[in-house]
Parts: sequence; C-alpha cells; structure tokens
Amino acid sequence: MLTRRSTFKAVAGVAATAALGASHSAEAADQVVKIALEMSFTGADATAAVRAAQGAMMAIDGANAAKTVPGVKFEYEKFDDGTATAGQYDPAQGATNARKMVSDKQIMASVGPQMSGVGKAMSPILSAGSLATITPASTNPDITDPKFAAQYIPNGKPVYFRTVATDAYQGPNMANYMAGTLKVKTIYVLDDSGAYGVGLADAFQAQAEKKGIKVLGRDKLDPKAADYSAILTKIKSLNPDAVYYGGVGQAGIKLAKQGYDIIPNVIKAGGDGMFGADMLTGAGFPAVEGWYATQASPHVVDDPKLAKWSKAYSEKYKMGPDDYTVTSYDAALVIIGAVKSLKTAGKPITRENVRDAIHAAKVDTLQGPVEFDANGDLKNKVISVFQIKKNSDGPLDDPASQYKYVGVAPTV
Amino acid sequence: MTAGDLVLQQAINGLSLGAMYALLALGFTLVYGILELINFSHFNVFMVGSFIGLFVLHALGIEGQSVILSGLPLIGALALAFFVTMMTTGMLGVGIERFLLRRVRHVKGPAAMITSIGVSYVLFNVILLTLGADGKNFPNPLPPVQFAIGGAVLRLREILIWIIAIVLMGGLTWFVGFTRMGKAMRATAQDPEAARMMGVEVDRVVMMAFFVGSALAGAGGLIFGLYYNYTGAAVGFNAGLRAFTAAVLGGIGNVPGAMVGGLIIGLIEASGGQLIATEWTDVVIFSILVLVLVFRPAGLFGRVAPNKS
Amino acid sequence: MQAVLASTKAWVGRPFAALTVNQRKQLGLFALTAFIIVFPLVHDNDGDIDSMANAAAYATLALGLNIVVGFAGLLDLGYAAFFAIGAYYYGIFTSFQVMPIWSSFWNPLAAIGLVEKINQGGPDLVHFTLSFWLALPTAAVVAAFFGVLFGAPTLRLRGDYLAIVTLGFGEIVPIVARNADTLTNGAAGLNGVKAPSLFGASFGVDATPYYYVGMTMVALLIFISIRLRDSRIGRAWMALREDETAAATMGVNLVRFKLLAFAFGAAFAGMTGVFFVAKLQTATPEMFGFPVSTMILVMVVFGGMGSVWGVVLGAAILQLLQSWFLKDFSGWINALGDMVGSSFLSNLDLVPSMDLIFGIILVVMMLFRREGVIPAKRRAPLLNFEAQHAEVTRGGFVHLEKLPKWQPSAGNALEVRGVTVKFGGLTALNQVDIIVPAGGVVAVIGPNGSGKSTLFNAITGLVHADGSIRLNGAEILGLAPHEILDRGVARTFQNIRLFPNLTVLENVLIGQHSRLRTGAFAAIFRPPATNAEEAGALKRATDIISLFGNRLTPRKDQVVSGLSYANRRRVEVARALASRPKILLLDEPTAGMNPAETLELAEQIKSLHKLGLTILLIEHKLDVVTTLAETVMVLDHGEKIAEGRPEEVRRNEQVLTAYLGRAVREAVKAEAIAESEHAETVGAEALGAESSNVE
Repeated sequence: MLTRRSTFKAVAGVAATAALGASHSAEAADQVVKIALEMSFTGADATAAVRAAQGAMMAIDGANAAKTVPGVKFEYEKFDDGTATAGQYDPAQGATNARKMVSDKQIMASVGPQMSGVGKAMSPILSAGSLATITPASTNPDITDPKFAAQYIPNGKPVYFRTVATDAYQGPNMANYMAGTLKVKTIYVLDDSGAYGVGLADAFQAQAEKKGIKVLGRDKLDPKAADYSAILTKIKSLNPDAVYYGGVGQAGIKLAKQGYDIIPNVIKAGGDGMFGADMLTGAGFPAVEGWYATQASPHVVDDPKLAKWSKAYSEKYKMGPDDYTVTSYDAALVIIGAVKSLKTAGKPITRENVRDAIHAAKVDTLQGPVEFDANGDLKNKVISVFQIKKNSDGPLDDPASQYKYVGVAPTV
Repeated sequence: MTAGDLVLQQAINGLSLGAMYALLALGFTLVYGILELINFSHFNVFMVGSFIGLFVLHALGIEGQSVILSGLPLIGALALAFFVTMMTTGMLGVGIERFLLRRVRHVKGPAAMITSIGVSYVLFNVILLTLGADGKNFPNPLPPVQFAIGGAVLRLREILIWIIAIVLMGGLTWFVGFTRMGKAMRATAQDPEAARMMGVEVDRVVMMAFFVGSALAGAGGLIFGLYYNYTGAAVGFNAGLRAFTAAVLGGIGNVPGAMVGGLIIGLIEASGGQLIATEWTDVVIFSILVLVLVFRPAGLFGRVAPNKS
Repeated sequence: MQAVLASTKAWVGRPFAALTVNQRKQLGLFALTAFIIVFPLVHDNDGDIDSMANAAAYATLALGLNIVVGFAGLLDLGYAAFFAIGAYYYGIFTSFQVMPIWSSFWNPLAAIGLVEKINQGGPDLVHFTLSFWLALPTAAVVAAFFGVLFGAPTLRLRGDYLAIVTLGFGEIVPIVARNADTLTNGAAGLNGVKAPSLFGASFGVDATPYYYVGMTMVALLIFISIRLRDSRIGRAWMALREDETAAATMGVNLVRFKLLAFAFGAAFAGMTGVFFVAKLQTATPEMFGFPVSTMILVMVVFGGMGSVWGVVLGAAILQLLQSWFLKDFSGWINALGDMVGSSFLSNLDLVPSMDLIFGIILVVMMLFRREGVIPAKRRAPLLNFEAQHAEVTRGGFVHLEKLPKWQPSAGNALEVRGVTVKFGGLTALNQVDIIVPAGGVVAVIGPNGSGKSTLFNAITGLVHADGSIRLNGAEILGLAPHEILDRGVARTFQNIRLFPNLTVLENVLIGQHSRLRTGAFAAIFRPPATNAEEAGALKRATDIISLFGNRLTPRKDQVVSGLSYANRRRVEVARALASRPKILLLDEPTAGMNPAETLELAEQIKSLHKLGLTILLIEHKLDVVTTLAETVMVLDHGEKIAEGRPEEVRRNEQVLTAYLGRAVREAVKAEAIAESEHAETVGAEALGAESSNVE
C-alpha cells in the first residue's frame, strides 16, 4: 500500500508530467526500504529527539550516497510519539505509530523509541507485525527481559533491539568502579523520577550495597523543579563520599550547577544520561568539572573516527551531537547492515528477514562492533567510565574533548 | 553541619526560593484582585522574562560562568538587565491584556482563564520551537563571595535576591498604597462598577495591573536565572504553579498575603526536601493548600477583593 | 446546465425536504453509526483505526468532564486524576505487579475468576485476573468514590479556588503513581497488563476490537449524558452552574448535586482509564499529568461546553488532528513544496508545532466562538408580531383552576421572633419579630438598607441568623436553603436571580425540583414512573407559565436573559409558584415595571392570595402595598419601627421620617401634598432607581 504522502507525490507527479508534456522515464527502479524514526518530536524531549533522528538520517543519507546496498534506496519517515495531550512522549501515540508502521508495507525496520514507556506500548504490536525496532535510548530492562516475553514479544522472536546497554549493567558496573577504584565508602543516590533514571539508580544502589558501600539515602528529583538546594543541603549534612545520579540532563544540569555550589568536594557520578553536549552547554564549566559519566560501549583510545564523524555531523546539522545521536546513528547502521546482508545472501527483503538479520547482525559502528544477545540486548557490555576535565585545547561544548576516558567499569 | 546549621541553611534556601515565588505570586494576585482571573499566561511570562534577561546579559558580553563583574559594572549590568527585562515582559503582559484578554474580560465563566491557558501554550511553544527544549547556561556575573554563619553558608546571590525582592515588593506596596494609580487599582478591585462611576478608567487600571504584574514576573525570571545559573522553556510551569499556590495561600488579591504565602511555600519546599523526600514535596504543598482552603477558604490572610459572585 | 443542476438538486433534496427535523436527525445518526461500523472494515491502516479508538477514549473523557464543567459549571483542572485511577485500577488488578502470598482467603475469589494461583518459584502467589468487562463498571464505581472524596473538601470553594484545588489533586495523583512503585512499578510503567478477551478470544494488539469497544462506550456515555441532561438531575446541575444561590433557594441540594457531578465525571474517566490501559497494556504516570487535564478541557471548550455532541466532536477533531491528520497535512505541504520547488515548504514540519497550534486554536475559539463548534443551546425561533404583542390584563390570573388550592393551616404560617443578623460589626437586623398568619399577606417596607432583603435571606437560610423562625410551628432557622424550600418557603429576589442561560420553561421546571423524585438511576433508565413524573412536571410548568397568558407562553423556549425586565420578574414568580410553596416571599416584585404592569402583577398576586397562598412581600410602591397587604411592617436600620394596617402605617410619623428624612418631611407637611400623590412619587423614584440598574 502506498502511503498518503507518496500517493500525493505520485498523483502530483503525473499531473506535473502531463502538464509539462515532458516524457520522463524513471531510472532503473531501486527497491525502496523505509526506516521509521519513532521519537518524541513534540514537547519536552523534542530537542533530544531531533538530535537522535538526525543521527539516523545521517546514516541513511550516507548509505544512499555511498550506495552501500546496491539496488536499495533507503528512505525514512518520522513518527512522533509526543502529543500535545501528554505535553511530552505519549505511550498511546507510540502504540498508534507502531500500528501505522506495521500497516505501511514499505517500512522494514524502525529506529526508536526514546522512552521505555513508549517501548512497552509498541513492542507487542511490533512483535505481531514482525517489525524490528532498534532503540537508541530506552534502557528499561523489562521490555527485553525473558520474564515478560509473553507480553512484549508474543510472536516469540525479539523485535526490540538496543544500541544502548540496559540499566541492568551500567548502574552495577559503575557501583563496582566506585567501590574499587574510587574507594567510595558512603554514597547518596538520586534519580530524576523517569523510567531510565529510576531503573539506573535502583540497579546502582543494589550493587553498591552488595559491595559494602553505605547508602546514606535515596531521593527522587522532580525534573521540572528548579531548586534542589534543599536536598543538596541535606546531602551536605550527611557528608557522603559520593553522590550517584541516575537520570538525564533535564534534572542533571541543575543538579550539577547547584551541586557545585553546595557540595563541591563530593565525588559526583552519573550514567550515560550525564554524558553529552547538553551538560557542557547547559551547566558548563566549572560546575561540571569532575563529574563521572559512563558510556555503554568500549572506548577506542584516540579513535579519530568519532571525532571526524562528530565534525561532519556538526557541519551538516549546525548543532553538536549527543550520545543518543551516536546510538541512533549506530542503530541505522545496523539496519542498513542487515539489509545489506540479506541482499548479499540473495534473500528477499521482508520484515521477517530484516528482523532476523538484525538479530544476527555484526556491524561495525561508532561504538565498535554491535551484536545482540538472545533477547535483543547488546552482547558487548563494556561500560566505559569518563570524567569531565576541562580541556582548553578543544571546544568547551564538545564531549569528545571534555570527557576524559578513565577506564572500564568492572563487572564485579 | 550541626542540626542548627542545617536548619539555618534550609531556612536560607527556603527564603530565597520563597522570595522568587513571592514576586511571581504578586502578579497573580494583582490581576486576580482586579479581574478575578487566574492568569495562566503569567507562568510563561516569567519564563520569557528569564530568557530576555539571558539575551541582555549575552548582549553585554556576559556569557557562561567565567565573566565575573564587581562594583559599578556589576550594578550597571544588573540594572540594565532588570530594566530591559521588566519593560519587555511588562509590555508583553500589556499586549496579552489589550489584544486578547480584554475581549473576554466581561464574559461569564471560564473563557478568560481558558484564553490565558491558550496564551501560555503559545508562549511556551514559541520559545520551545525557536530556542529548543534543553536547559540553558545562564551567566553568573556575581563574584563568588560567601559568608559562613556557623556551618551554614550565605552566598552573595542569596543576599542579592532578597534585596531585589524587598525593593520590588516595597515599591509595589508603595505603589498600591500611595499612588493615584494604586488607589484606583484598589478601588477597581473592590467594585469596578463603582470605580468606573467615580471616574476611574478601569481599562487603564487593568492594563497597569498587567504591566506591573508581568514586570515583576520578568524580574522574577531574571532572578531565577541569576540564582540557578540556568533557564529553560519548561521553568514556567513549576514555578508558576507554586507561586499561584502561594498567592491563594496568602489570600488571593491580598498583596502582603502573596509575599508571605511565597515565603511559606519556599520554606515548605526546603523543609520538605530535608525532612520528607523531594518526590513528595508537591504532595505536601498541595495538601497544605487544600487544608488551608477547606478551613480558611479566603486564605491565611483573607482576601482583599470581595467575592463578587 | 443550471436548470439541470437545479432539478438534480430538487430531486436529491426532495426526500430530505419531506423529512421532519427529528427524522433528519435520525437519518444523520444512522449514517454516522453506519460509517463508524464500516470504517475499520474498509480502511486497512491499523494505526488510523487506533487513532480513532484513542479519539473515542478522549471523547468519553470529554463527556465526563462535560458533566462536571459543562453541566454543573465546576471548573476541574485535575480531571486526569480519575483517568489515572481507573487506569491503575485495571492495570494493577490484571498484571503481575502486585502478588500477595497465596492463602485460603483467596479461594472464593479464585472460584469466581478474580484471582488465580501462580508459582514463580518460592511460595504460591496470587495473580489478579480481573476481567475487563467486570473492570469497566467497577472502575466507574471506584473512580466515583474518589470523585466524591476529592470533591468533598472543595464544596465550600467557589470557581477559581475549586480550579486550583482540583489542579492540586491532578498533580498529586500522578506523583503518587510515580512514587508508589510497589503498586504501579513507578516511572518504568506497568508490565503485563492483560488484554481483554471476549468469548475466549483475546483482543491482542489488533486495534479493531478496541475501536468497537471504544465506540460503544462513546455511544453509551452520550446516551447517559443526554438522559441526565434532560432530567431533573441535569436541570439541577445547570441551575447550580447558572446561580448557586438561586439554585439552593429553589430546592437544589448543592452538596449532593455537586458531588453527584464529580461522581459521574469521575466514573466516566475511570471507565475510560480501564479501556485505555487495556488497549495499551502498560501505564506510566506521565500519561495522566496536567497537560492531559488541560487538553480534555480544551476539547470540551472547543466542542462547546455543555453540548454533548459538541464535546464528542471536539475530542475527535483535536485527537485525530494530532495523531493523524497533522502529519499527513505536513506530508501534503512537503509534496507541494517538492512540486513547486520551494525548499521551505518541502521541509516544513507542522508536527512539532502541534502544541502551538493548539494554543492558537484555544485563543481564537475563546475570542471568536466561545460557545464552541456545536453550541449547547440553539437560538429559539423569533416571535411573530402576534406573539410579541401582549395586552395588559386586569383582574388577576384567569385560569387559576390550573393551580391546586392551598389549604392554609390554622394559626400562623410564619413566626419570626427575635431574629438578629450581623455582618462583622454591622447589625443588619436587630431582634426583629414578624408574624404572618396563614393565608395572610404581610408587607415589609422600609428605606434602602433597612434590612428587608436581609430578613428574606435569613428566612430562606442564605445568611446566618440568631433567633427563631418557625414555619407552621416548626423551626426552620439553621436549615439549608434547599431544606427550607422543601418545607414550603419560596422566594423571588430583588435583583432577579433567574438562571440566565436557561429557557423560561427550564427555569420553571427547576422550581419543581424538590417536588420531583427522579434520581440519577431513574434519569438514565427512565422507568414509566419517571416518564409520568416528567410529563406531569412539564404539564404543570406549562400551566403555570400559561397563567401569565401571552406574556410568557410564546417565549417559553427562549433563554431568559433575553427577556424584558418585567417578563423576567414574571418568570421568577412562576418559578417560585412551581415549587408549590406554602408561603411565597416576594422581594419587590413590581420593581422596574411601569404602572400598568405593576397593577397587573399586583392583581395577579392578589388572586394568588385568594387561592389561599400566604404571602410575605417587600415593596416600595405604597399603592401596591395598600392594595395587597393586610398588615405592613416597617424596618429601619435593621429594627422594626412600626407595624399595623397599611393606612395606619402611612400616617406614622416615624415611618415618614425614616422614608423621607426630617427636612423633607417638614417640607412635605408644609405643602400638604396628598398622600396618594406622594406615594406615587416614592414609587416613581423607586422605579427610576431600579431602571437605572437594568442592563
């Protein structure tokens, strides 16, 4: 079935051709493979969504330009799960979008969603339609947990893949790192009330307690609130060695700012939500100095590839990439790689085949080779630790130069 | 930190927060006192104010956290920033009143309030679409001076926010109490019809209330930015809602009540963060609001405006 | 060509022209139903069907909020809280979120299929397996309970305060959902919410069955909304929306009906919550925040507050716009851009501007079309000359046989003893005594500000008073206004307090509120007894209206705010009569009427008196007082300064001084103006003052 837009274009094209009286023979028709970009383009997460979507678009444009898969033309279509009704991401709209994607026969795979809440609503529908999606950002482990397979993948085969590690690894590994390398004895744990942040902080806290770190307290920050001075003052009075924050930049920026004023000498650490340009532009130096952040991917020391890519991205879209731009770019690369492997093997490009090819994929991406385990999670669970250290040689808003790689967070 | 230090520190935190809510609450109270309208657009006039302050400071070359001023340049830069911000948001408020709310002012029912919700949506989204949703680094030109009081810390920015808040609130109290326009405002709040008959130009009074209220919201927005070194498109709702709660708590329409209400909410928020848990602070604030309204429907200090219905 | 067109039009139009309005409506409804049933069968995009199902959910929410805001006029800014309660109710009782340890206590519940025993390693656990079909009605009950719970503290609050408190509740519920993670799984969202099944087949992820359930719910709730609206319940809601005080004095129990509105609104939302979560199979706290409450309000406002079909259309348009059309529309603009080579149009994406577009819609609607897309009230047809023309009639009501005879009991109808009313430091009434004998007419006169209306307010329970007020010997002081009406005291107001946006007929029907018994259940199901009661009420209202002859009968379907001043006074009298009062309190009934109209009404009141009705009257026009009253009581500065027969009182020195002031009194004496003339003057002055208040 044609989409409305393509129908309109086709009709418009015929009309234009007829009107001009020009004969216009199409080039040898490439097969169109459409990739859905399912993100929250409306509301509070819009900026992050745009960055992430552009990452995927860059990969798709690149594949078309380089004719990575001969005979296939990649297209993308944006699906917005943000609604004015919810004022932000809306799982109900996510479900609607999943059904729309399943109904559009040209769509072979999707990149998205950003939010686990949306993922939970989409996954059963995608499973029924055999349509694979790769999320660049949603990290709640439930969706790929075999315990809930009956609900989220009723069809049996994984459709929900990730180019980010779930909270189940990032948090605990960082707890190990803090106990072992940073010799943290007491800690205060914060999160931003969001699905990602709470999950990350929970996983961190559980492991920290196992490692003998004394958890002095746990609080949920309201990401919409402006003032965290009350809770930071409370933390100051408890005098912990460190603070761990599970969450994204919305609350993270304010936490970094106010934490710098109130608890300057406490070790502060977060997950991949605290890795990104928004920290450097929103909070900036000196507030962010010394913060630890993790990335759910191995760090290739002095890899010029990332820097080059980052520059290309900035030139193309007039804004800096963040970590989800990278994971989204990688997600698109994986899909393109999967299609390529089908083409090479001479298999037809169907949803079922694309889904299975993604599951079997081993694709080289910005974050290294991506492979998935039986549930669709990243096989590679290396958690890299970074610390923000002001580097005046590089741009002050460029994560690549301001986040200094300090090691791997151990799994035990 | 001893327990005493902790109490003192949280009191400092709470009073700073409260001062900001109070400035914002004044705008609600002025408009409500005269029009009996919950002006939701006020939320985002505050937000726009903090962005205008940001632009002014950027235009003066004050960006990021590294430009520190002191003495006359600091006072000059702040004075200019406050002047431009307050004038701009004041005019924004007047514009909203003159071209939109005035047309529905006399309509019975929630039409005016719904219009203000619509305006609030528009302001929020215009900023969101043009400047993005992510948080902005707000410059902090203040020198990092701080005073230790026991184990508690009092920073220059807290002193600054109190001084500015006191000056603005004092100015407002004088304006409402002693100027011709202020008297006209109070008269209009009591009985617009009678005020009109006594020669008060009600339209001008309403416009003035919007100007003053919005200018204060703009000042609040700028203070917000200076205090937190941060702003973003989403800052209006949370601060606005608490400020409105403060206004109701103090007795809406009651100018000193709004100030006290703001301080109370600020202190509740600080002690909530300390004693209960941050995630329940909103529940505490709204529960107190409900209790106050149930037992004292006119707020803690009573309404100045009579119930016209 | 044109002729062909015209004849085609006539040919097509003829069948429609022959139809009555009702038949056309039925035809429209039939076509709509057919379209809704057929749509999923012919449209193969499951996403669009899902959009429609979501639109159905928002339509039911809008219908619920319409009861609270549109019917009862209670501004609720936290309505999504009830949506959340229904959603989590179903989510928790069908998922694996809460699993207590199994004990024999659960056996009976397992027997009826509400729970099942499961084992995930470790002890046996309880898995709740609430059926979707059972959850729908029970969620309505649970949500209604919370509606009453949240509504109760807000009852004393008026408009804007109510709005802010409901906003507070609307904020609290998602916070609780986020933080009570053992119950709700917090921000991560519920896992494993069961899809509904019917006859053993699970709905699964296919949007179509949800679509049909959603549409059925909309149909059901439209039906309930309309039934409620057109009943005693709906009229009571609209009365309290229009004027709480007047509603209370007309017998509407404000507490009960406000809570009933909250309960119905919440029940609709609770049911929708079940439907929504069953469809989504997960729930996160973000789905129920302030923006959702605002958006439902926007849907109601956009569609038309109080208009059942309007709010459904409003919800459908706004929901489909954001989830379906806006993206397509962007696509068309882009395609147009590609065609004409405009890169601006090619890249224009309207979707992120959705919120902005909503804001603009809201403002534009408020400025230019406040009554919404489909207004709740249609304008009544214009009157023809004959209907507009009314002769002054003389001799009182002609068809009094239409009213039942009053049987005044022996003794005093009303005894007011030692009643004192204070407003802060001001004593508005001081130890006032009045006796109104059964079947008598007593007039209260006195200068402006002497406390006459306060006396009425004290009798009807609108102000707090000390002392004793007995109706036929039973104490009524301290009762709520609606209870006082119920016991037989009806009143009119000096400054006319009709329900301005309701019709004459509706106003008079509301007068009968406390004499009717229809409850919510009966209003919806309309058993024969209810139909009979409603028909009786209608007949009685029509009869009462017809007493005023040509003045009101042709206007009975007109909104009262459009009536002349005198006619509004007549409607107020009619509304009071409709409550079958034992005693009628008339507060300056002829104020603002010209002499002819005054005389007409005075005679009508007299005829009521002849019928046996007891009347207590405040009146400035002394000729009216003289015509009607047997006893006149004079108030000044809150004290009774004189009492007696009209002609006695008119000569009372103190009274004249109170009315005219000493200086004028001297002058009047000196010029020896005839009493009748000076009565006219006083009347004319009163008239002049009243008229300036009109409009």
